Amino acid sequence: MIVVACGLLLLVLLVYVFYPERHVEAQRQKTRLEYLHERKDVLYENLRDLNFEYRAGKFVQDDYAAQQADLENEAAEVMAEIELLEAQPTR
Amino acid sequence: MPTFGSFALLLSLALCAYTLLAGIVALRQLATGAQGQISPERLAETARRSGIASFVATTAAAFALVWAAFNNDFSVAYILHHSNRALPGAYKFAALWSGQEGSLLLWAWLLSCYGFVLRLRHKVDVKLTAYASTILAGIQVFFLLLLNFAAPPFSLVGGAVPQDGFGLNPLLQYPEMVIHPPMLYLGYVGFAVPFAFALGALMMRYPGEKWIHITRRWTMITWLFLTCGIFLGAHWAYSVLGWGGYWGWDPVENASLMPWLTGTAFLHSVMMQEKRGMMKTWNVWLIFSTFMLAIFGTLLTRSGLVSSVHAFAQSSIGSWFWGFLIVVLSVCLFTFIMNRDHLKAENKLESLVSRESSFLFNNLVLLAACFTVLWGTLFPVLSEYVQGNKVTVSGPFYNRVAVPIGIFLLFLTGIGPLLAWRSASFKSIRKNFILPCIAWFVTAVVLISCGVHPWDIFTTNEQGSFYAFWAISIGAMVVTAISAEFLRGAGVIARHTGQNIFAAIVQLTRRNTRRYGGYIVHFGVVVIFIGISGQAFNRQVTQELDFKQSVSIGPYRVECASYSQDSNPNYDTEYALLDVYRGDKKVTQLAPEQRFYTASQQPQTMVANHSTLAWDLYVIYAGKNPDTGRPIIKIFLNPLVAWIWIGVGIIVFGTGVALFPNMTAAFAASRSRAAAPSTAIVQGGD
Repeated sequence: MIVVACGLLLLVLLVYVFYPERHVEAQRQKTRLEYLHERKDVLYENLRDLNFEYRAGKFVQDDYAAQQADLENEAAEVMAEIELLEAQPTR
Repeated sequence: MPTFGSFALLLSLALCAYTLLAGIVALRQLATGAQGQISPERLAETARRSGIASFVATTAAAFALVWAAFNNDFSVAYILHHSNRALPGAYKFAALWSGQEGSLLLWAWLLSCYGFVLRLRHKVDVKLTAYASTILAGIQVFFLLLLNFAAPPFSLVGGAVPQDGFGLNPLLQYPEMVIHPPMLYLGYVGFAVPFAFALGALMMRYPGEKWIHITRRWTMITWLFLTCGIFLGAHWAYSVLGWGGYWGWDPVENASLMPWLTGTAFLHSVMMQEKRGMMKTWNVWLIFSTFMLAIFGTLLTRSGLVSSVHAFAQSSIGSWFWGFLIVVLSVCLFTFIMNRDHLKAENKLESLVSRESSFLFNNLVLLAACFTVLWGTLFPVLSEYVQGNKVTVSGPFYNRVAVPIGIFLLFLTGIGPLLAWRSASFKSIRKNFILPCIAWFVTAVVLISCGVHPWDIFTTNEQGSFYAFWAISIGAMVVTAISAEFLRGAGVIARHTGQNIFAAIVQLTRRNTRRYGGYIVHFGVVVIFIGISGQAFNRQVTQELDFKQSVSIGPYRVECASYSQDSNPNYDTEYALLDVYRGDKKVTQLAPEQRFYTASQQPQTMVANHSTLAWDLYVIYAGKNPDTGRPIIKIFLNPLVAWIWIGVGIIVFGTGVALFPNMTAAFAASRSRAAAPSTAIVQGGD
């Protein structure tokens, strides 16, 4: 009985592991463009955060303006690089 | 069943070894572009499936051990030593983790569970998950090697099989012990997942911080399990060990605290990496250290390196763990050195007065606390090695060093959210700090007028009042800061949607569950600190009580109604029935007892506790006076203890909120449009 149980466990698991799969997920490296889009999303989220905190009265005008300018500059740089990469012909 | 269990463990080892080796080959081929007989993607897929299959095999092994416990199979040495026929069912189940071999099996099984979920969810990022899965398989291989060759749980008893087992350690026969170790292990083991992702991301030079986003929930859940495990352990110690306290700075308690401290630091500092691309090296080493400390904690409990009420018997597996730690550290160091240029920060710290610097301070303080605990835990071992005699480090050392660190940490908890990212001007600081400072001042005045005098530390060397004063007053400051955060945010939503403030608070929390869930967790931490500060005002009395005799402590009078003895198949017991009066009104009856377990021939104190929000009336039956035959009753009046457990409940709730996904922008927009025509700010929101 125990031998049958052990054999059955072995068989089922081996079949599961080595049964040929038709569709295998490709493992591809994340591109610079994908990274930049992620970065853009983060910067937009930071801007939304800043905007909300300012409306909530957490920062004075000067702090808000300085931080907004920094974030917008960073976002502009990212957007420029995205446009540059998207304009390049895909191989 | 033992044969089946042993076979399942061996099979699991083979499957994990395949996951590791095939994973390495496939990832190597993908990195170099080399091709074998089968494509690297197919090879990686079989490795992934093998990892999933190892979960089934390890589950089968764990099931075999539980089956043996429930069927009183005393031919298995582990069951013989950790169970007996009269043991209640729940404790038979708990026998799985009550000994060295069983608890290692639980480690391996939980690791395989985490691996199972990780490998099922591989589509979130196929390549990164393949790296993480391979690293996790390496950790699994180590534990399965231990289980198959160093600490096999299915070893058979030589000679005739005894009719009954030796029973479970009486200290473990308590309801919390059915849940505390699995919780703690879920925490320890769970840190393997963010560790595997961090190491994998570094190995593959993963661009961006998405790996943090992928592991965020894993880390939070793991942290929550470890938190619950630590506090369940504290509650168990409070209820079972019978010394009136919940934390004794025992080496094994410390072992669980260290990864918790670095894990907490990691949870905070990754936010800087996500938001600003900073502290990448720091974060990677924090999670590496957290995992290594979890392994080190396991080593402390099992090697006999330190003596503790919680430790397993001394064994030779310590050398296995040392070897594993050296391998892990070497792999981490090698990977870091080869890829350190990938961890270059995208931004610099611009000001010392900013959210970033508060996170940095928070991290430094948490690490200082971790180092203090590590130093105190290892000092007896080091002193014995250097001087030849063991110098034990006890509570006073930790109270002098760790408690001030904890209070400073509480202070940072309050000020961090009030500071802006990048830099905060004096005007902003003044604006945000006025209310919390007023709260601190008012609370300080109230405490002093109630007789809590922090200056007593200079005249009577009384530290308790000093620490309680600062913990409670800073706690009030933090609560005010958190409340202000909620009210400010809710005010914006209320103005734009017309909702009442409570509905607005709910909506605010749902929009940014991570941030506001985090604030709720901070609130829970404050409540815990307030509960702990009650310790400064503990009182105790020990008295022999005859029938109808009574003793007074605080507002209570405890009267002995009777004392007797009883017996059942599992244990013999002596107990006293004590009526508790407040004024003339009887509030409850307590029955502290002392048990003597038949199978293990060990005594055990069962504490009786009347817990209220103000204090715990904690009563111990300390045995009978052999001359008079009367029971000796020890009574503690411990203020505010209940708030510690309430604080943990708040932390669980807060973490649950933080784990919940944010309300989607689209959903929020539709709700806002329905509520009000002009909602641009709220949609942009947080």
